[in-house]
Amino acid sequence: MNFFFENDFYAILPELFLLCASLALLVFGVVYSTSKAHGKPSLMRLMGWATILCLGLTFALVWNTPFQSMIFFSQSLLIDEFTFFFKVLILLGSLASVCISFQYFETENLKSFEYLILILLSTLSMFLLVSAYDLISMYLAIEMQSLCFYVLAASQRNSEFSTEAGLKYFLLGAFSSGVFLLGCSFLYGITGLTNFEALAIFFSQQSQITLNQEWVFVQVSLLFILVGFLFKLSAAPFHFWAPDVYEGSPTSVTAFFSIVPKVSILAIFMKLFFQSFYELTILWQPFLVLSGIFSLFVGALGAFAQKKIKRLLVYSSIGHLGYMFLGASCLTVEGVQSVLTYLIFYLIMTTQVFSCVLALKDNQTGQRLRYLEDLKYLNKAHPLVAFAFVLNFFSMAGIPPLVGFCGKFYVFFAALSSSLYFFVFMALLSSILSCFYYLRFVKFMYFHKGPVQLKFAQMDECKAWMISTSSFLLIYLFFFPTVVFLWAEKVALLFLS
Amino acid sequence: MENILLSLLCLPVLGAILIALFPSSATRQMKVVALTVSLINFLLSLNLWIFFDNSTSKFQFVTQLDWFEFLNMQWYIGIDGISLFFIILTTFLVPVCLLISWSSITHLVKEFLVAFLFLETFMIAVFCMLDLILFYVFFESVLIPMFLIIGVWGSRERKIRAAYQFFLYTLIGSLFMLLAILLIYFQVGTTDLQVLMTTEFSERRQFFLWLAFFLSFAVKVPMIPFHIWLPEAHVEAPTSGSVILAGILLKLGTYGFLRFSIPLFPEATVYFTPLIYTLSVLGIIYASFTTLRQIDLKKIIAYSSVAHMGFVTLGLFSLNTQGIEGAILLMLSHGFVASALFLCIGILYDRTHTRLIRYYGGLVQTMPLFSFFFFVFTLGNLSLPGTSSFVGEFLILLGVFQTNTFIATLAATGMILGGAYSIWLYNRVVFGNLKPIYLNQFADLNRREFFILLPFVVCIFWMGVYPSIFLESFHLSVVNILQSH
Repeated sequence: MNFFFENDFYAILPELFLLCASLALLVFGVVYSTSKAHGKPSLMRLMGWATILCLGLTFALVWNTPFQSMIFFSQSLLIDEFTFFFKVLILLGSLASVCISFQYFETENLKSFEYLILILLSTLSMFLLVSAYDLISMYLAIEMQSLCFYVLAASQRNSEFSTEAGLKYFLLGAFSSGVFLLGCSFLYGITGLTNFEALAIFFSQQSQITLNQEWVFVQVSLLFILVGFLFKLSAAPFHFWAPDVYEGSPTSVTAFFSIVPKVSILAIFMKLFFQSFYELTILWQPFLVLSGIFSLFVGALGAFAQKKIKRLLVYSSIGHLGYMFLGASCLTVEGVQSVLTYLIFYLIMTTQVFSCVLALKDNQTGQRLRYLEDLKYLNKAHPLVAFAFVLNFFSMAGIPPLVGFCGKFYVFFAALSSSLYFFVFMALLSSILSCFYYLRFVKFMYFHKGPVQLKFAQMDECKAWMISTSSFLLIYLFFFPTVVFLWAEKVALLFLS
Repeated sequence: MENILLSLLCLPVLGAILIALFPSSATRQMKVVALTVSLINFLLSLNLWIFFDNSTSKFQFVTQLDWFEFLNMQWYIGIDGISLFFIILTTFLVPVCLLISWSSITHLVKEFLVAFLFLETFMIAVFCMLDLILFYVFFESVLIPMFLIIGVWGSRERKIRAAYQFFLYTLIGSLFMLLAILLIYFQVGTTDLQVLMTTEFSERRQFFLWLAFFLSFAVKVPMIPFHIWLPEAHVEAPTSGSVILAGILLKLGTYGFLRFSIPLFPEATVYFTPLIYTLSVLGIIYASFTTLRQIDLKKIIAYSSVAHMGFVTLGLFSLNTQGIEGAILLMLSHGFVASALFLCIGILYDRTHTRLIRYYGGLVQTMPLFSFFFFVFTLGNLSLPGTSSFVGEFLILLGVFQTNTFIATLAATGMILGGAYSIWLYNRVVFGNLKPIYLNQFADLNRREFFILLPFVVCIFWMGVYPSIFLESFHLSVVNILQSH
């Protein structure tokens, strides 16, 4: 073993850069914002641009990495095409959520630049999580990510809701991490291994008969690990914390929560279960299917009764998770490919929907719009935003010719080709049910006549760009989907080979 | 030549983008642009007919573009004799719809025009897609603009219910079609229609596939147990929406039967023919009786559409040339007659803002021109010899009589019932006592309305007197479809 790790530092350059940059920004912020000589300036705008710059530079580093695939730091981290794909998604998601929350912090009087540092740090932790190749490094990365998220959820210090959200997230998150860790330690107790590859080799050579009495511990540990993941993903039936946390957190944080963590946790979930536990498919696939069906229906039915926009969007994202599980439970190249493409489309749609939600603000009272009812006036005040919104909801409902259709279509394609007929049937049912509430948005925005009683504030340029770009992609990627699908196929092929 | 179809598809979209750039106060200019674009599209589509080669059953004006390359799915556009006239019907009805809503749509004009132009593109695309999955895509995408048209520009509060019903009924049906398409893809490895035409499916599989397709098309036609959405949608939609619904969207279902169910699954088609016959005859008789006791003008036409579409499905599944050609002719004729009747009702509604029949009566005294047009269309609706519907229904009965005399006899009662409700409707609206309270609102047709209705009269008589010009264009295509039987 080489003590100096030779090329290992090259491989981890993006992470290192992110870490250094966020620490430097933190020091700069702490010193500068408290300096009396400069009048204790609010650094939000400056720090915002600095964050975007950092993320951009990280993107360049990730893009130009000299390694195709490499295992490093004593086999605890791995980079390959798969992690590259997810890192790119995470970076784009973080970039988007920083871009759309620029104005939010200025108008909400939240002059805490720590928010941006936390976003950088959680991006870093998600990078580490995606590249984790060992149960220990995975757990540490998950914890780091969760810690950042707890603080982010509670970052609006003057709001009871935000504090409540942070506390709930912390308590339940800590509990689920405990369950997760218990699963990992059981596994370690049986196998004595923590490395993903070693686990895969172990399970390919051992079976129920050879493991004998320990088999039940394998089952229990797998269940615990799975539950931990499902909890972090907010998949049903472990979703109960999500609506409260997502609603209580400041909207820009909700946007970040909905866009990015799904990507990182799905990535590590797929890595662990598709590579290390591939031989144990019989044990975990039924649970995945079950959770997928639950998520589909919780997403569809739970959203019916909601009156608040953010809560409704949480349920909608739970429903989308169900589709990704449908793709994931195929265990084929098409299945993985469908998850990856669905993730990309989900990212685009969520970014768009949250940039619209963040743009909605009453000009007179300065109140943010929280209820579906308030959307009644949107079409008169901001016809283009209303149009983009509507486009997105049709896309989420999977109506062609929008990109959401491509995603769902390919998931169905993959699932049918591996004969998951019942699951597909359930997904069809839930997609019809979910149309009800997506159409409700449209109804509120377009079907009401009457005078406008709200004046909407102007949105800033960043959000306008985000909305227009993502709306363009919603249509463009339907007509020219090949790039996305081919990339996903390449990643999926390399991932499963 | 090959680019005519492509430009037909692109032109409305370009027009919509152009309109979107106008300020929303420039309503007149936007309307003019929309009308111009749709008229140019109409003229372009006539070129299809001019350059159409009647002596072949091949697909013509074929264009291919890449889409899902790695799945072997691509844009595959082309027409044969069957789709030719539906495309022309579409491009004909869109400018008419824009004209009829010229002054009645005052709210969100820009959005209306954009929605309509997109709707036109989608409808043309449905008729010329030769790839199953893309057919499905456009079959579904029609829902978006139509949902908005019913919901936003509909007249009453109940419109929301109607829009939801329209959307969800169609969606539920067509999702099963999506599954069926995927199953087809897994067997054949492509969704190219021309390849599928040469593929044989096992009998058991055909049954499933046929039923899945049936669900989606039967909702769209609509056949009797799936028809609840139609009267609601018709009543609540604005006039232009009703015209498009009756003129084009109902035909998507029957077109689907003809284009996909019948040639792709021949055994299943024969197996399920009794089901279709039963439902169609039920539809004809039950819908005709229902029509007799409606009090809403639009509902009367809506239910009579259900009855007429019953004739169409009957004709399609007679599986002989006469029956199918009659069905196509009746589809076209219904596209003119029902649309024209909806236009007439829209004209009345613009004046009085009611559709309840009890507020009308004696219109002939104040609206002679209107009464003339309404009379012609009523004749068309009851399929009097000399009008277009007669040719269609006659051929259908001829076709069905050869395969099932009993069903043909039952269906023939539909013609009598059709006469009953059409004449009775005309009688109640146009004759009788003039209701003097509304006297000053019953002004006769203005120039715009006159010129909207005139072409319909011409078409109805043209098709009634000299139908062979249409028949010879789609004869070979029909024979081609029947080859598998």
